Amino acid sequence: MQVTLMQGILIGIFAIIAGIDFWWEGFYIFRPMIVCTITGLILGNLTLGIVAAGLTELAFAGLTPVGGTQPPNPIMAGIMTVVLAYTTGKSPATAIGLALPFSILMQYIILFYYSAFSVLTKKLDTYAAKGETKKFTQLALLPTWIVGLSYGIIAFLCVYGAQAPMKDLVNSMPVWLSHGFEIAGSILPAVGFGLLLKSMLKAKYVPYLLIGFTAACFIKFGNLMPVAVIGVALALIEYGRSKKDADNEKKMKIAMENSNNDGDDEDGI
Amino acid sequence: MESKMTETPKRGKLSKHDVGMLGIRSIFNQSAMNYERMQADGWTLAMIPALKKIYKDDEKGLANALKSNLQFINTNNYAAPLLMGLEASLEENGEKRSTIDGLRIALFGPLAGIGDAITWFTILPIVAGITASFAKQGSVLGPLIFFLVYVAMFFARIPIAQLGYTAGTKAISKIRENSAIVSHAASVLGCTVIGGLIATYVQITVKTKIPVTAGHTIALQTQFFDRIFPNILPLGYTFLLYWLLKKKNVSPVILILGTFILAILFSWMGVL
Repeated sequence: MQVTLMQGILIGIFAIIAGIDFWWEGFYIFRPMIVCTITGLILGNLTLGIVAAGLTELAFAGLTPVGGTQPPNPIMAGIMTVVLAYTTGKSPATAIGLALPFSILMQYIILFYYSAFSVLTKKLDTYAAKGETKKFTQLALLPTWIVGLSYGIIAFLCVYGAQAPMKDLVNSMPVWLSHGFEIAGSILPAVGFGLLLKSMLKAKYVPYLLIGFTAACFIKFGNLMPVAVIGVALALIEYGRSKKDADNEKKMKIAMENSNNDGDDEDGI
Repeated sequence: MESKMTETPKRGKLSKHDVGMLGIRSIFNQSAMNYERMQADGWTLAMIPALKKIYKDDEKGLANALKSNLQFINTNNYAAPLLMGLEASLEENGEKRSTIDGLRIALFGPLAGIGDAITWFTILPIVAGITASFAKQGSVLGPLIFFLVYVAMFFARIPIAQLGYTAGTKAISKIRENSAIVSHAASVLGCTVIGGLIATYVQITVKTKIPVTAGHTIALQTQFFDRIFPNILPLGYTFLLYWLLKKKNVSPVILILGTFILAILFSWMGVL
């Protein structure tokens, strides 16, 4: 299948909107769950978009922009996964792997912008010192427009411009190679979960991880809701217990202070 | 001159609507994100209308407030409206500049921690995990639920800002006290769900069959790994990656590429 010029332009426009949304972290339409769905809709294959959305969202679950770090770009990953699955006829799981270079390309462009936009701070300081709020507003919003436009241009070029060479490349792949990409696509969520665990997992949380893992292995249900409910229950238990501990500690402290005072009095006597 | 310095101009008062708008404007927090002072420029941009209303004709006071707000800040985007509301109430009360700045700088770190624990490490994995199970079957419910959750999250910025505003200074000790407990509970929930996600969404199936006797083979996956524990390979591989990320400080991009190389290699060998 081919991406038409019109479809390329529409995807470019959507990339501008999603790009600004990612820059601001506003409505989370930058997550692959939404990006893939919309891209599928534009290409006229909504089901492909939604199936790719589920796979790509999980592959990127742990790749989050926490603390000012920049992960491989979820927007380009989402767009290119659907576009490559659409143009080459490969499965979405294979396409996730093929989309990865585009995602990393965009990641590095954003990293470049983080450095580049530092030059604006001096000018913003002078506007602030003079209380010129209008000029300040215009300049403080400039990075947003630059980033949005970059997304539009890059997405259009990757989607529309690169489709023929990508298609040739993918079609010339031997089966073991494209199968390898498919396997990698289904193992890839492990990297995301590893990253989540890096920020969260302490020794005291390992039991909960094992409970969740075991529950999901043996509860046969269409989605993860039962595990989430077990998690909420455990969290509530822990919340109540920690709160009680904190209160007791406070009482102990007060009691200790009182007894210290008593001690002083006794010394006095 | 001296008398002028001691006389503080009267401060304006924000309405409930103004504080709500401040919550909406907190979306600008990252509008000019850069490595020099992270969110500071966007943070200040979000604060402008509130500060203008508070300082009214006091141009010098406004300029001072703007300049002070331009100091380095990097916090969670849903914690930002809380901190903005809090700061607005302090500015309104005419607290000392040093007090306001000190509190903002002291709080953005802890708030970033608790905010990330709740939004990125708990809400996102849960919402992603549940909606993905719909999406993988091609159901439009997946993206639809996902979208609705995050629209609701966006509008939650309004009550969050108002909470920060009404809580005021009293809240600070409370935030400090409770943030540890709340992030502990959030981590319990997050880790449980991630355990479930590993079992559900990381798929490694070994194809290799080992011939035992002539005409009799053992399929490694169904007759060996699955008999030990289902999904034991995904769990093991995730822990390996976790160990590499945490203890060996390997970059995630390397691990992604490594995963691809291994997958292609094993595919070529016919193992996976």
